Amino acid sequence: MTAALAKSTAHSIVEASPRSKAVAGSLVILYAVITILPLLWIVATAFKSQSDAIAYPPKVIFEPTLEGYVNLFTVRTRQTPDFIAKLPPPETWYDKLVRQRDMVIAGPSKVVPRFVNSLIIGFGSTFLAVFLGTLAAYAFSRFRIPLADDLLFFILSTRMMPPVAVAIPIYLMYRQLNLTDTRLGMILLYTAVNVSLAVWLLKGFIDEIPREYEEAALVDGYTRLQALRKVVLPQAVTGIAATAIFCLIFSWNEYAFAVLLTSGEAQTMPPFIPFIIGEGGQDWPAVAAATTLFVVPIVLFTVLLRKHLLRGITFGAVRK
Amino acid sequence: MAWLFVAPTIALLLAINIFPLVWMIRLSFTSLNLSMSYLPLRFVGLDNFTDILTDEDVWFRLQTTAQFVIWSVALQVVIGYGLALLINRQFRGHSFWTTIILLPMMLSPAVVGNFWTLLLQPQIGPFNYVISLFTGVPPSSFSMTGQVSLAPWTIVLVDTWMWAPYVMLICLAGLRSIPDYIYEAAEVDRASAWRQFWSITLPMTVPFLMLAVLFRAIENFKMFDMVNLLTSGGPGSTTELVSITLKRAAFEKWRTGYSSALAIILFVTVFGAANIYVKALNKVKQR
Amino acid sequence: MSGSAVAKSGVSRWFSRGPWEAGAMTLIGGGIIMLVQPWSIDLYGYSFVTILAGTIGYVIVSHFPE
Repeated sequence: MTAALAKSTAHSIVEASPRSKAVAGSLVILYAVITILPLLWIVATAFKSQSDAIAYPPKVIFEPTLEGYVNLFTVRTRQTPDFIAKLPPPETWYDKLVRQRDMVIAGPSKVVPRFVNSLIIGFGSTFLAVFLGTLAAYAFSRFRIPLADDLLFFILSTRMMPPVAVAIPIYLMYRQLNLTDTRLGMILLYTAVNVSLAVWLLKGFIDEIPREYEEAALVDGYTRLQALRKVVLPQAVTGIAATAIFCLIFSWNEYAFAVLLTSGEAQTMPPFIPFIIGEGGQDWPAVAAATTLFVVPIVLFTVLLRKHLLRGITFGAVRK
Repeated sequence: MAWLFVAPTIALLLAINIFPLVWMIRLSFTSLNLSMSYLPLRFVGLDNFTDILTDEDVWFRLQTTAQFVIWSVALQVVIGYGLALLINRQFRGHSFWTTIILLPMMLSPAVVGNFWTLLLQPQIGPFNYVISLFTGVPPSSFSMTGQVSLAPWTIVLVDTWMWAPYVMLICLAGLRSIPDYIYEAAEVDRASAWRQFWSITLPMTVPFLMLAVLFRAIENFKMFDMVNLLTSGGPGSTTELVSITLKRAAFEKWRTGYSSALAIILFVTVFGAANIYVKALNKVKQR
Repeated sequence: MSGSAVAKSGVSRWFSRGPWEAGAMTLIGGGIIMLVQPWSIDLYGYSFVTILAGTIGYVIVSHFPE
């Protein structure tokens, strides 16, 4: 009794007791493990053979193979064993793997162009959004702009609109301008969506930088733009990087606009992945391989962004 | 001078958002159908709006959407808040596990919807096996995405898997914003832990909770990507959220005039809700 | 700003933001409930007008002085 009392007073009141910490810790770890299992299953499926992937009951232990990845990157045709036997010996390990399934590689699949589209559209729109966003955020942070609150709300509200509803007039407009299914069209659209987040986030970051430095620079004869470039930007660099990653994640993950406004040329990964078809419906190992490759950068970004996540999801309102 | 900095952003938003929006308002008063675009543009006044607002089918889709919003947000609040309370105990390694928990919400909703269809396949997916392990129900006797009674819960489940971390993250910020001395004072007054929760923790985190709830409600009200890939509105129309209805009217039936009107109804609704959200945002900002 | 120190005149009290904003927000919230409630199709029919009125009203009254 007294020991327990002594123990509880020895601890700071707001600091949880070791026992309650242990309970909390194990519950959280349990949840984390359950929540990560679906992802691990997909990563594992990427290394299954076609038959292991659709085995009944599902297989937890299996012989790993790179078939899924090979199928993802190639188009194959089925041939008779006689035909394959007559071919010269396979040149590469993946040729060999495909021939074991009575198939030959007919060419590369569309995954690389789609991946390149994702990269170009993602980086293009991120660059533009951060560039425009920095300028606007600086102005909102440092100048008295008439109706600033209304403008900021207007900027934010454009992000909150239902994408399918936005896509209807954009579709019509892009048809007139020949921007349907072009990378430029998608970059402009994603920039418009991202710029709102960029303005709000960057305004928060720039607000935190003391004005004194720039004012000193202005007195020294810098122009506004020079002061922004040489004084503010170096101090805002973490904030700009965090904002850029948020914009990149949005463009990388976006599906609704991509599926409604692109069909081939400018198609990105999200609308492409579900339609990786094998011989009887979805080719699950290949889909899982594509998903894995697609998700890896996001996992890295999440780790990088850990400290800024909260800011990003609340448009800069909650800082810590 | 200041305008020079803001002008490019405003110009882009005018071109990509406002101009199309005005165009869409005009179209919503017409009977334009893109699959018959050779017909001359005919203005029909408010007909599209009265059509939608007297149509039982659209009304049912909105109810489906509301049920999805209510259940998913409620579950996310319970799980998210609970996790935040646990993580706030600052056990060893909490930041590592928090990062793991946050992963689902960073993923592409479309890709998530797609891979959950594999996990939820009655025979080849692991989900039904895990359920049968705990309940003894044979795994191939039910289908999470194919059954009318289960499909609405499936979209709630996957959405919660994805977004409970979001609520958790915001609630955690709320918990950390409470200064220690308030609890110390409560301890001096010998208030029980239960009482401390109800009279300190909860009231002080309510603004944060509001923020999370409003944002998730708006996001789920316009939900399209994840559900479109998980169930594509089926079976029947049990999971057909209003965004899916809109997409079908606009991009499958090509009823542009009609779908513009529906889009405007959704626009105004979201815009109204966004006003309330920004008010909540500013409230939290002042803390 | 300087007006706040002076006792509120009748006009400025009439245009004070708080209650108006609360009213507009109630209209928006009520309209959204009307839009998705499962009981009356008539309420559903009037929901859009209600939300529209609330939203336009909110945009206007949020410019009233504090």
